Amino acid sequence: MRDDPPHSPPSKRQEVDPPRRPSRTARAATWLDQRTGYSALVRLVLDEPIPGGARWWYVFGSILVMLLAIEALTGLLLATAYSPSVAAAWASTAHIQDVLALGWYVRGVHSFASSALIALALIHLLQVLLFAAYRAPRELTWLAGLGLLALLLAFDVTGDGLRWDERSYWAKESELALVGGLPVIGGPLVRLIQGGPQIGNYTVLRLYALHALALPALTLLLLVAHVALVRRHGVTPKWQRPETELAETTQPYWPFQAARDAVACGITFLALSLAVVAKHGAPLGAPADPTRSLPVRPRWYWLGLYELRQSFAGPLEIVGAVIVPALLALLLASLPWLDRGTSRSPSGRKLVLAGTAAGIVGLAVLTVLPIARDRGDVAVRRAWADAAERARHARQLARQGVPAAGGTAVFRNDPAFAARELWTEHCATCHALDGGGGKEAPDLKGYNSRAWIQGFLRDPNGRLYMGPAKIEDGMKPVEATDDELRALTEMVYAESGAEDVDRSLAETGRALFEQRDCDRCHALDGVSGNEGPNLKGRGTLAYLTDLIADPGAERFYGERNRMPSFAGKLTPEEIAELARFVRSLRKAH
Amino acid sequence: MPDLRPELRRGFLKAVAGGIGGALAALAVVPSVVFVGHALRPSAVAGADVPVRVAAPGEVLGGRPLRVSITSDVRDGWSRRTSEKIGAAWLVRGPGEQVRAFSAVCPHLGCAVEWNGNAQTFECPCEGSTFDVSGNRLDGPARRGLDELEVVATDEDIRVRYQRFRLATNKKVPVR
Repeated sequence: MRDDPPHSPPSKRQEVDPPRRPSRTARAATWLDQRTGYSALVRLVLDEPIPGGARWWYVFGSILVMLLAIEALTGLLLATAYSPSVAAAWASTAHIQDVLALGWYVRGVHSFASSALIALALIHLLQVLLFAAYRAPRELTWLAGLGLLALLLAFDVTGDGLRWDERSYWAKESELALVGGLPVIGGPLVRLIQGGPQIGNYTVLRLYALHALALPALTLLLLVAHVALVRRHGVTPKWQRPETELAETTQPYWPFQAARDAVACGITFLALSLAVVAKHGAPLGAPADPTRSLPVRPRWYWLGLYELRQSFAGPLEIVGAVIVPALLALLLASLPWLDRGTSRSPSGRKLVLAGTAAGIVGLAVLTVLPIARDRGDVAVRRAWADAAERARHARQLARQGVPAAGGTAVFRNDPAFAARELWTEHCATCHALDGGGGKEAPDLKGYNSRAWIQGFLRDPNGRLYMGPAKIEDGMKPVEATDDELRALTEMVYAESGAEDVDRSLAETGRALFEQRDCDRCHALDGVSGNEGPNLKGRGTLAYLTDLIADPGAERFYGERNRMPSFAGKLTPEEIAELARFVRSLRKAH
Repeated sequence: MPDLRPELRRGFLKAVAGGIGGALAALAVVPSVVFVGHALRPSAVAGADVPVRVAAPGEVLGGRPLRVSITSDVRDGWSRRTSEKIGAAWLVRGPGEQVRAFSAVCPHLGCAVEWNGNAQTFECPCEGSTFDVSGNRLDGPARRGLDELEVVATDEDIRVRYQRFRLATNKKVPVR
């Protein structure tokens, strides 16, 4: 029944237009069709009959195809900016993420869409299990679909290694270790994947070649086969609908199913984009550092297998890591031959449905367990928080350009970091920084602070000061009242150029300096040498720079010097950086 | 009267499918163009900011051009490299005591020109353009003379501000 609007105008015959020349586009289409026959192919796709009519639950295949197309496009874009080598992998990824226009979005879509692909492929798989759509004559459709799922997982394993950050490095390290643990083939297989005896340039390059060339080609091949087979055998409608009803309600793909597919694709893409914007793209950690590990967990869809392996820890690890997953995969693949029933109604397929339910519950439990465990593990959470802080720092520094050595060399962009490295290499063998006393020289924790200076004056040959240097006939402890000592301390403190100096106290100290005969050994003119170091400008940047360069100079330790001079060993810039570092120690309590 | 509803429904579904499909395609194209278009933004060119020391004044003799390398720190995509050779220049003394510098990049297709002492010309080994000692074009496919570079000369050293220019044009336009 239809209600015509009461005031609708009477329909009148359209006047017939005189015959017109077909439009330019139409003529171009005809020209192309006569040569390629493309319109037949288009009709073949669009006119696909759907028995029983268009349905919302048929949209998943189309969403998966759209997501694969998104991966291809974003993958191509990323390939224009990514460089697969140990030195450049992290640096170029950081450049994409933090510098290139919309790089974070492109990379984010690529990463999030891969997650969505797995989720929707699993839903698609579940659907096929529920509808018994794998049965004859659709065995090969089923196998092609499983093959595509396996390829998706392979995309994840290879793509995960490309960014070469801490997580990615340790994930590949442990995955390769698992492969290496396989009997007989393990050793050679690992070498083939790594491209040599250890992880390196060839490893990144091979992951890249697989991820960007081999896997896409295989995927395209299997996808064409899968879709062609779906087309050949048609969709599998719900079990209770009789054949005659299905035939009567058949609709063509275009536009009935196409509209539903388009709406579903639109919603998926919108959700994907919103997630990417909300998270500002995919995570990127600090560059891979083979000396610093962290607890690594795979992405959500691997957690089940990860937990399965964990529960087989020990000599039986291979059972959880390889044997059980392989058997499960084999079981899935052979399902069309195991389940040969004819009724597709649920009551006739109790075993398969129960198995499916058990599989879902098992996978869900195995997935939730490690998440819950990590939530409650303070050490793991702290390690991840530290890693996040390193990542923030490294990516900030990477904006200045990563030094050619790549990866962790990015930290050399940070003067403080560089100075600390210099310190570790050249100074830490004698000096300590932790207040525990140096091996052969003063502990510089809090150096230049009032507390440090006062402690020195009280006990110059103590464990924290010149004691470890074992200077013969060194400075004597200053014998003075507490007030006098404070004044002397303030005087020395003032020389360091500190801003919070108590001038009058420092003046008092200056008077005491002469009364107590300090000036017998210490000059204050900044030039001359004596028994002890010249104290003019002691602790300033210039003083420390000169001291590190040549501690044996007359104005410093002269003949009593025990510290090596660094003028020839380090560049002037490096010495200045070290001096800045030493000056910064005052505040580091 | 014919029942128009199925036709309307068809049309509506076509519009939905086509509209969403077109919107998705547009949403894919726009970020792609922005991402790839990043390369069109102006950015720092190595060596163009500060004149680089290339020689001492005594090294440049009249009548015999001196080839010098330009070394500079380079920002290249994600990486930062220090003291890298980025190009070469020819130093020429004269007329008089003045020192002039020409980029060794041939303004035709960018090969490095060489000095031919016998012919007293700069020659491009690739397609044979030739230039006189003052950089003027003599012969060959080049459309302009050698590109002169800014020279800062003091008693101690000669510095050159290295720049690259667009190739295969008759105007000297710096690359930015």
